[in-house]
Amino acid sequence: MSEPSIFVDSITYSYGKQQAVRGISFDVAPGEILGFLGPNGAGKSTTIKMLIGQLIPDAGTIRILGTPIKGHNSEIHRRMGVCFEEKNLYLQMSGKENLEFFARLYGLKHPETDKILQQVDLWNRAKDRVSSYSKGMRQRLMIARALLHDPEVLFLDEPTDGLDPVSSKAIRDIITQRAQEGTAVLLTTHDMYEADKLSDRVAFINEGKIYALDTPENLKQSHGKRTASVRIQRGEEILETIIPLDDEAAALKLRDSMSEGRVLTIHTEEATLEDIFISMTGRTLQ
Amino acid sequence: MKQKRVSAAGLVLLLLKKDAIAYSRDRLYSILSLAGLIMFIAVFFLMPDSVDESVAIGIHHHDMQELFSDDVLEEEGAQLLLFPDEQSLRRVINNEAEAWRTSDGRLIIREPSESRPSDAQRESLNVGIAFPESFLADTVSGRKTTVKLYVNHDTPPEIQTAMKSVIREAAFQITGLPLPITEPAAEEVILGVDRMGAQISMRERMRPMLVFFMLMMETFALSSLIAYEITHKTLTALTSTPVKLRHVLTAKTIFGTLLAMTQAVVLMAVIGAFSLGTILPLLLILLVGSLMFASIGMVVGSLGKDFLENLFLCMACLIPLMIPSFGALIPGSTAPWVRFVPSYGIMKALMDLTAYGYVWTDAVSSIIPSAIWAAGLLVLALGFLKKKAAAL
Repeated sequence: MSEPSIFVDSITYSYGKQQAVRGISFDVAPGEILGFLGPNGAGKSTTIKMLIGQLIPDAGTIRILGTPIKGHNSEIHRRMGVCFEEKNLYLQMSGKENLEFFARLYGLKHPETDKILQQVDLWNRAKDRVSSYSKGMRQRLMIARALLHDPEVLFLDEPTDGLDPVSSKAIRDIITQRAQEGTAVLLTTHDMYEADKLSDRVAFINEGKIYALDTPENLKQSHGKRTASVRIQRGEEILETIIPLDDEAAALKLRDSMSEGRVLTIHTEEATLEDIFISMTGRTLQ
Repeated sequence: MKQKRVSAAGLVLLLLKKDAIAYSRDRLYSILSLAGLIMFIAVFFLMPDSVDESVAIGIHHHDMQELFSDDVLEEEGAQLLLFPDEQSLRRVINNEAEAWRTSDGRLIIREPSESRPSDAQRESLNVGIAFPESFLADTVSGRKTTVKLYVNHDTPPEIQTAMKSVIREAAFQITGLPLPITEPAAEEVILGVDRMGAQISMRERMRPMLVFFMLMMETFALSSLIAYEITHKTLTALTSTPVKLRHVLTAKTIFGTLLAMTQAVVLMAVIGAFSLGTILPLLLILLVGSLMFASIGMVVGSLGKDFLENLFLCMACLIPLMIPSFGALIPGSTAPWVRFVPSYGIMKALMDLTAYGYVWTDAVSSIIPSAIWAAGLLVLALGFLKKKAAAL
């Protein structure tokens, strides 16, 4: 079995007396997208900071591409791309200049800045100063900067935050494509829809601990409750019946319900990741 | 995509280039720097470049008027202007009228509204002595008499005291009586350079002060650049690449030092502060000064969160450092504790080298403590920035 691109074992980190990360463990294989799902303050950003070498864990082991990480490691940083939650760009430089500057830091001989600017749909504004960009444009430039040097590992902190649905889809497509090409992606988000759509596996993180780690489908299967909603019309009255599908008598109940009047609609409903998160942690994702 | 390993020097150079672009594109700092440079040059050339070493004293004495053909008498270190009447003397001292001296030694009293007399030069007069008509007779006969000493409100008290002594001595000279004491012989011993006939002009005094202010000006620009990296978290973006924090700190130190030093060197070159014998020690003290102010800029930048906070912190740090520069304008006005202000050595070395004509060996005693201060402040600044970066 090949070494995972990201390997994390029992890491902890405290800000003074407050423990932000409490012994979490996970791994991400090459080409896999792991969604880190949790509310603000859950420990997602602290974990990413440890993974990219900006914080040194109090305990535990981190290996990126097989190399142990304790603080800054230039060699590993050349092979990882990071998209931060904050739009930390140089506003007085143009979009293209921002990318070219970072490309030189990575030592890229022939950076494909034009190609990547086209990918994130910023080509026609490439020479404008970033200060004139909208929030969504800045976010797309952040993604472009993270992908610029074809990293083997990608850390994306809320990558579609503030984007319109069209831009969000474009970014999700790029992330999926990079994963298919073999890049390991760690994605933090509090958008359950995004985590569900993009992630091969999802980790629920809250108060510095991982509560669950599995595929979205398995999580829904094992923790969610599937139901069917039947609406019927009887005379002038409209009735709605919710039938749990995991019940052994589900089929019988469904038939009885449908025979009580004229069927208007039948919907099946399954638990969302957010429902499961709330049931497991007692907190919402916002 | 093919990557080539970038050396530490290469990374620092890239960061320097990026800082230069950010600085040049910030209109506020570019305009402030250019305006500061032009203003300091203008101030320098507007200052008088010579010193009138003689004290002008207005005299009204009825008998003297008849004794001398000229109205202006040059004595050693003093210029006596003989006024025809007490009223005009009083008005000139009080700036109600003007005293002009013609090339043939005549004194013209004119109203400010009148046209300027040709072939004449205005005399600045702050002190006047009006002897009463009976002065001679009263003094000789031993009667008490009163001499009026007119002084402008700007005149320092020591000049007023000195004038009273002049009047007393004049009384003895007029009567021909000796002073009631055995007059002691006075031996004049000048400590340091004897500047008799070569006084330092206001322009020369301003030169080190302007250079000092130029060094300080760039502190604000650098602090803002650093504050930007911290508040916009671009520092985090940099350190998630092969760039390490030490590369960023090195680049900031170099950029801040070069920024301040370049402007100071340009200013010094334009105002003629360099000479063949002083260029090296001057460049060295400018380097030390630039490093000191760059360090202060880094401390402020790591603490400030926005423009106003940066401005306030800069002022709070720089105002105490300005204190030694006042000593250049008013020699002898600085308290003993001022020598413990970090910028004291820089100001003193600049003054000694540009105004007093000192050389290398004389300036070393100021350069060394300044360099120690600068190194200490740099260590402090790097510590502040490291702590701030870790907390991002």
